[in-house]
Amino acid sequence: MTDAERTAVEFTFAGAPVRAWSGDTVAMALWAAGHLALRRSSRDGAARGVFCSMGVCYDCLVRVDGETLRACTTLVRAGMLVEPGGKP
Amino acid sequence: MNAAADPGAGRVLDADVGVVGAGPAGLAAAGSLARAGLSVVVLDEGQRAGGQIFRQPSPRVAGCGAAPPSHRRGRGLLAAFAQSGARLCSGVTVWDARPGRLWFEQAAESWLVRCERVLLAPGAYDRSIPFPGWTLPGVVTAGALQIMGRAGVVPGKRALVAGSGPLLLPTVAALLGAGVQVVAALEASPRSSAWRALPGLLGHGGRRAEAFWYLRKLLGARVRLRSGWTLFGCEGEDRVQRALIGKVDAEGRPRRDTARSIEVDVVGAGFGLVPSIELGLLLGCRSRCDPRRGGHCLDVDGEQRTSVPTVFAAGEVCGIGGAEVAIAEGELAAAAIVKDLRGVPVPPALAVAAARERRAADRLLGCFPPLPGLCDLATADTIVCRCEDVRLEQTRAAAALHGRSLRAIKVGCRAGMGPCQGRICGPSLQALANGLPGQPADLPVVQVPVKPVRVQTVLDAPRG
Repeated sequence: MTDAERTAVEFTFAGAPVRAWSGDTVAMALWAAGHLALRRSSRDGAARGVFCSMGVCYDCLVRVDGETLRACTTLVRAGMLVEPGGKP
Repeated sequence: MNAAADPGAGRVLDADVGVVGAGPAGLAAAGSLARAGLSVVVLDEGQRAGGQIFRQPSPRVAGCGAAPPSHRRGRGLLAAFAQSGARLCSGVTVWDARPGRLWFEQAAESWLVRCERVLLAPGAYDRSIPFPGWTLPGVVTAGALQIMGRAGVVPGKRALVAGSGPLLLPTVAALLGAGVQVVAALEASPRSSAWRALPGLLGHGGRRAEAFWYLRKLLGARVRLRSGWTLFGCEGEDRVQRALIGKVDAEGRPRRDTARSIEVDVVGAGFGLVPSIELGLLLGCRSRCDPRRGGHCLDVDGEQRTSVPTVFAAGEVCGIGGAEVAIAEGELAAAAIVKDLRGVPVPPALAVAAARERRAADRLLGCFPPLPGLCDLATADTIVCRCEDVRLEQTRAAAALHGRSLRAIKVGCRAGMGPCQGRICGPSLQALANGLPGQPADLPVVQVPVKPVRVQTVLDAPRG
């Protein structure tokens, strides 16, 4: 995808609208919008977010239209519903 | 090459060569292989070819000329690859492998590549060392902060970069390119390391140009790389707000009396890289441990062949060395595969070039040896395993009760049993749990699937 082909995309995270560019990962879009805390640890309840940004650590798990995915390896799509995730 | 429906729900791709990874090594190899007339399938986890090092800046940071000189070479590789006829599958997860077979998941589909030769070029990931507060949102690896910087999406204005090794420079440059202030850049190794690294940097044309490009960026922004300093910990409410920094001794032990607190919005920490050898181990390839090259790496012969005759490896998976090494080894591996399948001899110049690049990288990275004292950064209640929230004191109790091996510690406290499968905590887990800094780690325990995939992907996997 060249820069000229990138278009504005809007989706929601935890109910709030997020504006991004096609070609962004969900992790990039959420960082750009200032959303650093992407989920709560299922064990101690502490906030967690992106850590490795390259698909290794699974700390940025979110639910995208109901499916648990890594925010850093998932590209944004217009209208997608992103919710805080949880590690299994 | 053809894609055919399998009796199962999964799909099969037949090719002469299956390549894992579309970074410098995989791109160089796949392009050469395809130009030699072989059918090639490249499986890459990223959404775009190029791997981590040749990620292109996004339009958000357009206009600042944010790409270092080496990226011209990256663009050339990408263009040559695109014209070569090799088939690229992006955004996929390879989860099982046997000689001649690679199983992968793409979106919700289960696929199998059947091939004569496998080339492993999966690269590496950041080496993390646990410290208090490293699980706070906004605290990321140096590699992650570089990715976010190049994408121009760093939230806040004040960034801190800490760790060890040459990769701190591109992270700082990416942040500056995105207009973020770098309030501190901390190299844990003593100043003498940087001086020792100088001849290696200046004696190599490509690396010299790269180093000067980064140093100009740093000087222009008045950022000073402070040697013998590191990050002691991070604090904040639901995101990082403050960082505790201070001096370390020559072995990396924190000198607590020097600690001071600074305000930050994001933190990137990286203590070198770890070769991604999991698929190689699954394939039965022999490995060896070389601390200078990032620890356990795949053992290859003078033509990049692993101990499994049909499996080749190139780039960081054979030991950390950087893009120049990866490209040279990728080209050499491709020539060796062409020799196997077409009987064309390997041009001797390729082996000479790969060996020369590898020697130069070894000299440079040898100036930044692992610092065992950094294991003292974690305190008893610091989380070591981020997946399972296992704290240092729990890993110590497990080691005392179950034994010192990586396997015993995992079984004893679940550290390394989460979805990352020990990739993040594994390299330092034993040293921390056993209280033996500098202890070489056991080989990682690998099992199928080597990365989490959908249950349906496994059920649908074509056999054969």
